[in-house]
Amino acid sequence: MMKRFTAALIATILALTSQVLAATDNHTRFPALQTETGKLTIYSTTDLAAMKPLIDDFQRTAPGISIDYIEYLTNELHALASEACRKDEPLGDLLLSSSVDQLLKLANDGCAASHTSPETLRVADWANWRDEVFGFTYEPAVFVYNTRKVPPAEVPRTHVELADLLRERLDYYRGHVGTYDIRLSGIGYLLAFNDARQTNTVFGRLLESMARASAVARCCTGEILEEVASGRLYIGYNMLGSYAYDAARRHPDLRVVVPRDYTLVLSRGALIPKSAERSDLGAQFLDYLLSERGQSIARSNAFYFSETGGLPPDVDGPQNLKESGIAQPIRIGPGLLAVQDWAQRQRFIEDWSRSLIELNSPEWTRE
Amino acid sequence: MPMKTMRILLVEDTHDVGEAIAKRFEAIGHAVDWETDGRAAAEIIDFTEYSLIILDVMLPGMDGFEILKRLRRSGNAVPVLVLTARSEIEDRVGALDLGADDYLVKPFDFRELEARARVLIRRRTGGEATNLIKCGDIAIDRGARSVHVGKREVQLKRRELTLLEVMAARPGRVFSKDELLDQIFGFDEAANANAIELYVGRLRKKLEGAQARIVTVRGLGYQLVAGDAA
Amino acid sequence: MQHEPSLFARLARRISLVLGIGAAILVSAAWYYAETAADKAYDRLLVGAALQMAESLSVERGALSARLPTSAFELLGLAERDRIFYRVIDTNGKTVTGYDDLQNPAPPDGARDAVSISEGIYKGEAVRIARATRVLADPSVTGHAYVVVAQTNEARSALTRELTLRATILVVVMSFLAFAGAMLAIRYALQPVERLGAAVRRRDPHDLTPVSVGVPRELDPFVSSINHFMGRLNERVDLLQRFIADAAHQIRTPLTALSAQIDLLGHDKLDKTGRQHFERVQQRTGELARLTNQLLSHAMVIHRADSIQLEPISLVDVARRAYRAAIPITVDPDIVISFEAPDDRPFVLGDAVSLREAIVNVIDNALRHGTDQRLEVRVRSDALDAYVEVEDDGPGIPPEGWEKATQRFATSKSHEGSSGLGFAIAQEVVNAHGGTLGFRARDEKSFTVILTLPLHKGPAK
Repeated sequence: MMKRFTAALIATILALTSQVLAATDNHTRFPALQTETGKLTIYSTTDLAAMKPLIDDFQRTAPGISIDYIEYLTNELHALASEACRKDEPLGDLLLSSSVDQLLKLANDGCAASHTSPETLRVADWANWRDEVFGFTYEPAVFVYNTRKVPPAEVPRTHVELADLLRERLDYYRGHVGTYDIRLSGIGYLLAFNDARQTNTVFGRLLESMARASAVARCCTGEILEEVASGRLYIGYNMLGSYAYDAARRHPDLRVVVPRDYTLVLSRGALIPKSAERSDLGAQFLDYLLSERGQSIARSNAFYFSETGGLPPDVDGPQNLKESGIAQPIRIGPGLLAVQDWAQRQRFIEDWSRSLIELNSPEWTRE
Repeated sequence: MPMKTMRILLVEDTHDVGEAIAKRFEAIGHAVDWETDGRAAAEIIDFTEYSLIILDVMLPGMDGFEILKRLRRSGNAVPVLVLTARSEIEDRVGALDLGADDYLVKPFDFRELEARARVLIRRRTGGEATNLIKCGDIAIDRGARSVHVGKREVQLKRRELTLLEVMAARPGRVFSKDELLDQIFGFDEAANANAIELYVGRLRKKLEGAQARIVTVRGLGYQLVAGDAA
Repeated sequence: MQHEPSLFARLARRISLVLGIGAAILVSAAWYYAETAADKAYDRLLVGAALQMAESLSVERGALSARLPTSAFELLGLAERDRIFYRVIDTNGKTVTGYDDLQNPAPPDGARDAVSISEGIYKGEAVRIARATRVLADPSVTGHAYVVVAQTNEARSALTRELTLRATILVVVMSFLAFAGAMLAIRYALQPVERLGAAVRRRDPHDLTPVSVGVPRELDPFVSSINHFMGRLNERVDLLQRFIADAAHQIRTPLTALSAQIDLLGHDKLDKTGRQHFERVQQRTGELARLTNQLLSHAMVIHRADSIQLEPISLVDVARRAYRAAIPITVDPDIVISFEAPDDRPFVLGDAVSLREAIVNVIDNALRHGTDQRLEVRVRSDALDAYVEVEDDGPGIPPEGWEKATQRFATSKSHEGSSGLGFAIAQEVVNAHGGTLGFRARDEKSFTVILTLPLHKGPAK
């Protein structure tokens, strides 16, 4: 895990210095099923595991297309894409990022190509900006806990309950709560920022409780989930529903809770870069993602949650997110520019670091 | 043909014309009063009885139409023959409407004038008989002095008509030539039996096509038979 | 006559031109107002967002800091598809946050308004730029800080387009309504003209009485011109009529006097040579009289053809009168003369006077030049036409001479001094009645002149 994280850090630094990425462990090639007629390059922040079923199925519909799938952390990808856009250099044919605010910033800066098709018309208003940035998943931000560590009576089902639990059982949970390190994870920042917008007081309390409980911050969902599954961490906060559910399926001890007071819902974003060499293939894959078939594969094999359907089995939460009215989709729109404002970001991260890291987590002072 | 002296009023302002007309009628034994002024003529008519008035239309004093109108209004039925120099037929039509019996357009043939005048005078003296004589398909209208053979109206001369009238009055009767001579020419007119043959010949020709016909009864004379059956 | 386009077409063209220009002006105005309105509407958002951002500026630890509120971006996000650029500039002109290459427009005329709006280009796109000024009087930070917010124009253009489109639809609909209304009004206004035209068209060409159709004031001069013209024509016709009448009188009177004097002369008093001369004088005088009559008659029928209205008349009555008038009492008694009429009385649309003149002339011609022993006058009719036939047993005119026979002064028997006007008169009359003059020769002993006239089907007068 740490090795990967370090590699990512190096990659970020490399990207910022405009070096061509030479990393190979983040590069996966899907050869065409038949004679290759085109090569689609996807830059993504989404774990390959989640995307693989979709890519395989897509290739069944388009057997002549080979796919290069290149993975980055959200911030790395954003840095790369911004740079490519500024220089007007091609960077893949499709960008997939859970950090939609970054995609939105790219689009706002004129780095995106617009695409309309019958499939894009199906996209909800809140998940489509200018026909340039499309949300193609529906992922609640959830709590995860280890059933062996968290007794049923203590399972938090709202943000307030979580804050209270950490305060009341401070000693038990100290060092055993994990969340994103928003300094590294764009998605963590996005979720935290939106948490702050939802209820300033509750978020403040939660942040304070987590700080006191010496919450650990990690770069990636995967790490936290693994730690929760292994029992090193008891509770994970603001995990992406899809990854959490995937992990819960693999680890019987891991449980997913969809908060009942409010649930942030994130939609992974897709964007076709303006300078894409094969924007047609990018559009084709995008259409596939948005299509009935793609959505159905995503629901069953990759992302599990959907806007219209009910929750997947064994998830603790309201029956139907949308109907219960607690879902708070993060609108893909100019509002995200505020999230992306660097002064804002800097200060927010400063505040966050000050309250969560610097005070309580001396091991994280190395930055 | 000598005839009874008749008194004729001539109203004509053109001297040359008036003189000629007056002379012509006087020559055949009629008395002619000749007036050149319309007003004077109208006054004379009021107290003098004439057998015929020959009336010019364009007159000084009072025009012919006015005179005619006054005449007829006062109930005078004397025959009037209008002379007109205006080409307008309104003159003629107007004249007939106002009660003229006949008209002539100038310039005219003096013999025609004389003939027409004679017809008018005779019609006057002959009375207003309107009886219709029929014999087979021959119809004689004595009033209109016309003869129809079937639908065809045939023009007959005066003596031919008289001859036909005499014979048609008694169809089937045989008339001797002398008898017919007396009837047609009167006793004072010199004519011979040859004249009767001439008239019968003409009449036959003019009645050609009729069912009724004149049959010669050898040695006796002529008879009119109504049709083939008779 | 050069054919001008109809009044209706001219008016329609002018009105549609005016309406078209009007519509173009209105649409332009609508576009202008729509653009102004769209600008106004979206400028409010822009200004609102700029002010919100300016409001969020604060001095923290001796430096200007901006906590840009999400609501400001969401406000701008009401223009759903527009890209947003912003820049916060501190008192030293340094960019605090945002796009540091976004221009900081100097307000026009150095105005010191809190907010100013301008147009500009950023990242190759036309943008609307709002600048909010914040005056800072903190001990550490003093001076003017600026928030510059720029937004692309898609929503404005879309709104402008939509407003303009709606206004255009309205203008087009109104223009069509106005056009249709104007056309109806023109049709209505032109009705009197059409009525007048119809009245003039319907008129009998011989009717010279004034036109009495009610017309609007504007048409009065036109109608009075027509009536004036008619009046003059009528006067001319009357004058001609009087002239013919006068001429007739003036010629006939001395002619009558002449023949009267010749008549008086008597031939009994003359010797043989004298008698011969006398008879020739008498004959020539007769011809002169007849020629005069025919000339006047000809003038009269021509005149009447132009001036008399036709009316239904019984052809039998007319023919019988003509027959009586044409056969002199002094006719040769050996000639068989007859008149035959059908039981039904065919009516024709005609001028009784002219028709009688025509028939008289034909009969007279037959008597003088044709008849040997027989003259038959017949009236008959069939489904379409009525006929007056004058048949004699003379040699007639050979077929090759038929055409010439109806020409004036043409005759087949020039040695007899015939005027030849008889057929010309008859021809003139039947033509004026829509009929024809024809000839038929059956054998040596039968020549027929046929006057054919169209039957009148309507009620007799």
